[in-house]
Amino acid sequence: MSVSNLLENWAEFRHTHPVDDVPHDPYKWAMSIDLDACTGCNACSVACYAENNLPVVGKEKFLHGQSMHWMRIERYWDEDGRDFPDQGAQFLPMMCQQCEAAPCETVCPVGATNHTPDGLNSQIYNRCVGSRYCSANCPFKVRYFNWYDYPTTDNVWPAEMSQQLNPDVTVRGKGVMEKCTFCVQRLTSAKNTAKNEGRIVHDGEVQTACQQACPPGAISFGNLVDADSKVFKQWKAQHVEIAEFEQAKDRGEQDNKLRGYRILEELRSYPSVMYLERVRETAV
Amino acid sequence: MHRFLRLSILLISLFAASSFAADATQAVKMTEDSLGPLVEQPIEFPHFRHAGDVNKEHPEKGGMQIDCMYCHTFARRSAVAGIPPLQKCIGCHQSIESVRETPRIKKLFEYWEGSKDGKIAAKSPIPWKKVHDLPDFVRFNHERHIKRFVFQQNRPVQEACGYCHGDVKTMTVARRSKTLSMGFCVDCHKKDHLVSAEGGTAIGNQAYWYGFKKPVVNASAPLTAKGPNDCWQCHK
Amino acid sequence: MIAGNAISDRAKDFPKNFAKGFVMMDSSFDRRDFLKVLGWGGATVALTGCGFTSVEDGKETVVSYVEATDFMVPSIGVYYNSTCAQCDAGCSINGRVREGRVLKLEGNPASAINRGKLCGLGQAGVQHHYNPDRVREPLLRNGEKGEAITWEKAYALIAEKLQGVSGEEIAFLTGAMSGHTKVLLENYLASFGCKNHFAYEAIAPGVVRAANKKAYGVAMPRFNISKAKLVLSFGADFLGSWVSPVHFSQQYGQFRKGADGQRGVLVQVESKMTLTGANADRWLVVRPGTEGILALGLVNALGTASGDVAAAVKDYDRARVSKDTGVSVEQIDKLVALLKSHSPSLVLAGSAAEGYAHGSQNAAAINLLNQVLGNVGKTVVGPVSVPFPQMSPVVGNTAALANVSDALDAGKYKVMFSCGVNPVFSAPTAMKFQEHFAKVGFKVAFAHYLDETALQADLVLPLDSALEDWGTSVPEYMAGDDAQINIQQPLMERLHANTRGFGDILLALLKQRNPESYKNYTDYYAYLRGAVLQNKNALGGSGADDDEFWDASLSNGIFKLAGSVANLSGSISAGSLSLPNAPVADAQYPLHLIPSVNANLRDGRNANQPWLQESPDPLTTIVWDSWVEIHPKKAAELGIVEGDIVEVAGKNGSIKAQAYLFPGIHPDAISVPLGRGHEAMGRYAKGFGVNPFHILDAVFDKETGELAMHETRVKVSKTGQRVIVVKDEGAAGGKQMGKKIAVRLNTDHVDLSKEV
Repeated sequence: MSVSNLLENWAEFRHTHPVDDVPHDPYKWAMSIDLDACTGCNACSVACYAENNLPVVGKEKFLHGQSMHWMRIERYWDEDGRDFPDQGAQFLPMMCQQCEAAPCETVCPVGATNHTPDGLNSQIYNRCVGSRYCSANCPFKVRYFNWYDYPTTDNVWPAEMSQQLNPDVTVRGKGVMEKCTFCVQRLTSAKNTAKNEGRIVHDGEVQTACQQACPPGAISFGNLVDADSKVFKQWKAQHVEIAEFEQAKDRGEQDNKLRGYRILEELRSYPSVMYLERVRETAV
Repeated sequence: MHRFLRLSILLISLFAASSFAADATQAVKMTEDSLGPLVEQPIEFPHFRHAGDVNKEHPEKGGMQIDCMYCHTFARRSAVAGIPPLQKCIGCHQSIESVRETPRIKKLFEYWEGSKDGKIAAKSPIPWKKVHDLPDFVRFNHERHIKRFVFQQNRPVQEACGYCHGDVKTMTVARRSKTLSMGFCVDCHKKDHLVSAEGGTAIGNQAYWYGFKKPVVNASAPLTAKGPNDCWQCHK
Repeated sequence: MIAGNAISDRAKDFPKNFAKGFVMMDSSFDRRDFLKVLGWGGATVALTGCGFTSVEDGKETVVSYVEATDFMVPSIGVYYNSTCAQCDAGCSINGRVREGRVLKLEGNPASAINRGKLCGLGQAGVQHHYNPDRVREPLLRNGEKGEAITWEKAYALIAEKLQGVSGEEIAFLTGAMSGHTKVLLENYLASFGCKNHFAYEAIAPGVVRAANKKAYGVAMPRFNISKAKLVLSFGADFLGSWVSPVHFSQQYGQFRKGADGQRGVLVQVESKMTLTGANADRWLVVRPGTEGILALGLVNALGTASGDVAAAVKDYDRARVSKDTGVSVEQIDKLVALLKSHSPSLVLAGSAAEGYAHGSQNAAAINLLNQVLGNVGKTVVGPVSVPFPQMSPVVGNTAALANVSDALDAGKYKVMFSCGVNPVFSAPTAMKFQEHFAKVGFKVAFAHYLDETALQADLVLPLDSALEDWGTSVPEYMAGDDAQINIQQPLMERLHANTRGFGDILLALLKQRNPESYKNYTDYYAYLRGAVLQNKNALGGSGADDDEFWDASLSNGIFKLAGSVANLSGSISAGSLSLPNAPVADAQYPLHLIPSVNANLRDGRNANQPWLQESPDPLTTIVWDSWVEIHPKKAAELGIVEGDIVEVAGKNGSIKAQAYLFPGIHPDAISVPLGRGHEAMGRYAKGFGVNPFHILDAVFDKETGELAMHETRVKVSKTGQRVIVVKDEGAAGGKQMGKKIAVRLNTDHVDLSKEV
């Protein structure tokens, strides 16, 4: 990477979507989350702690904003000054959106965060030097930095608890950035099984930890290249195109009775997570 | 003021250092054969007796040419090759009377039957020391390599295992004989063992993303990539 | 670094793999032996001293199997089915076991209760198992300290203390119980002629059960949320903590999509917003305690009732109801119209409605609404009962605590056992439970941790974790069309050599009483296996080989049986319905205290699981601490801002906690979550937050004698201190800053028919 290259190609890079000329094949992992089904119960978040060896940082560090929840539930109230939130709260599960043109990737000085051919935004711990530029540049604020060496911090993983750690996932040390990986260890394993059988991974064969736990089944995950996958069908039904930064319905070309949208799409990071808007009954 | 100066000097030298690293096109070569430490094992396991070649003149000095995967049976179906279960050792050795009273075999049976001094309980696992250790962030899959070399390309097992483990059949206690560093892996994947890409794209060179340069797509060229090409293939 | 640190494969198709592995196992080699032959017994390499970049050839030990079966491959997870014990809902779990350690719990898709799903509380089950603060040895009180003793000595001591004690002088206090441990416990108590088994649950729908029994003829019918077009819930937090939340959440997902394309509508009536309230299409805030009035008002406004029902509701006209409850007439009209257009609907009575001295009346009024709407038989259907009545659950409630506390006060008991409950923590101070408990001559606590109750005991017996123990259980809320008996089996070898299963201890105690009858059972496992095989035919294994049937049963984790479906009673009657008028203001204690039940922490028994402490409360996003929810208007009136440490004082004591301004609460009420405020129970629980159980008034429901949790009145005052609230609202303070982040549409702007 050179500075001149960056300057010359910046505009083009920001405006051209990668899948235009280089489509993903055979995999492009993507998600869709139905906010009407999501209850905000936090099961996904705890499942993520269990699967991905996330440290529990404790009250003081949480106060300092050093919590490590790769998957978090954001809670919003209506901001219209009513006395009571009588249409409930709005919950939003937020994790790394695995952007196709990820803002974090371009700023990493050491190339520790890259794009994979199956459309994930990888984070390589041993390459990371902890500049935290990626986190600063992330519009979703879903990157978490290891300010401490949690494996040796008191009461994070005392001897007994360390036995629960998932050997398929690195236990991160001090000074590296981490984030949601779409449970890449499960993907790798599923791909390995599929490869042994000479096929690609079927829809439903691999689930992320959050999806598997989600009690109301709000999360779908799968391969966007596979036209038989649920995620593909959902994206299609909502007319959400991964390579657009403004969808047809936003441009008024579609009727707007659709619920699919991507967060902060206008920033042109092309997220791989589609949300389905929450619905509320008009008649009550 | 002083402090401020010091900081900028530090920054400048850091920058210089990093640009030096970036400019160096040739990666620092490690010797391919670098021996790991001699490891003391609870039982001095003679690999050469089990896997070594038959010595016709002095059969007692030669080996029995046992397939690596007879004992390291998990290699072909799991990411890790695994240490054979104790049961496996006993399975053969309980009917090999000739060596039953040798010190090492007596030790072996202590783990199965319990030692007389009571220090080792019956059926306790042998505390082998790890000889080939990879860092926690590395994902290496034995199964994939065995599937390719042994089952698809029909290479001899000992040769295939030997690419990374060295000539174990000549060793007593195994000793690491390759660096097993990233350079070691990449060297091999670049040079000798082309992996054909499954998909139809040449997105493989992740440098595409990193360097902001699109690869020249040559539709007529065979779609081959040199080994795994995204970091998450080998890192976790 | 963990032994076998290279990446593993996951056994994706676990049920098949698992079953295959099982059948291939030598049949002389049962599941219990299987655990032994792993040969791992705590030999796993600890994490300490191993930075994540270290490569240390020749230093780490790599532990191998002693004997391995075909399906045990290092780095490949094997899945075992068992049952979650984090709450009483009885979700089936599927534990991933690798190299002898249990790593993660998933839901078992075969269970009609949770259908492959698992909540955060359930996920944290591994932290119960691996908790560093578990009791590891039997402990005998020596002054203020506990001295480790052997099990032989512990059993001998119990025998000695029971010498010459009659059945009436022994009491056994447990939580909800079912299955074979319940059978053993009852046999044990019967051997003394003892009838003092008290099942106590600090948070239980005791009043609702009684009201259901009256209205429908069964205590716990099945609620078909997914089939309802409208769910009207009076304070039932069925998505968070009520009865069987994972099952209901799973149904809720379908309910929102709609059975025939018509999206289900949820209306929640309560004074403090629960998680369910936060997901409602319309959240109706009512004055605390007036839920029943609103229900009768709706019956009246529907105008379909006749006879004594019509007579009972005639005084509840809209104007009066609106005045009493605070719900506008317009809103009542809308609701009535919706109830008429959305049939079948489903009306639920939950903990907010039952928590008053007139809780039974509230619940009866709400059930009456359900009957009038004709939902019984459609969305409220009969449950399936297990054909083994001796195994069916003894459900817990708070009336049991009141009974036992009174009896203790009267000095009735010389020896008392407690298991799975923590009344010293969860009983209101006003009941003086701790004081009464001290009167018992010899107190035995079966415990996983040294909690507040175990600390009062004379003898503490350490229990196996739920992931180490054997057992069976029958869920109280039977969700499916088949009756379900859940199997609990160890997912790994005992972590600590000297803990024992509850069943094993009971069996040992029974052998003291009755050696002849139990001599054939070496341990609880043998008993359980024997009992299951004895009833093989009834359990669906007629004609099967014993070993095969046993292995297959363990592999499934569930027995599904055709049970009889209870018929619900069809008669609609207003009976002895008489609701009190809306509560009057109390000048000295003007505010209602609503002790809220958080989905993760519940009654506090899991408060020492750090994932749960750090999992934000969904509504306030607060972690690791307690808080006082107060409406912003009320707070302004009292000059309180967020983070002010306020004193909440009632007739029976006070607590101090940080204030959190919360719009989802009635201005005349404040709310403090239950579950925190432990003074014991280990590093992750002790000293975090306050315990509102202690300041509850000892007011009971008039009909059932259940503790009326919502009857406490308090006043709130500032202490002058202020803290920063540790919460997870994000950088923008939970605001969307005009961006399209979490968006909501109204139903007339959306077309769900084409969705996938």
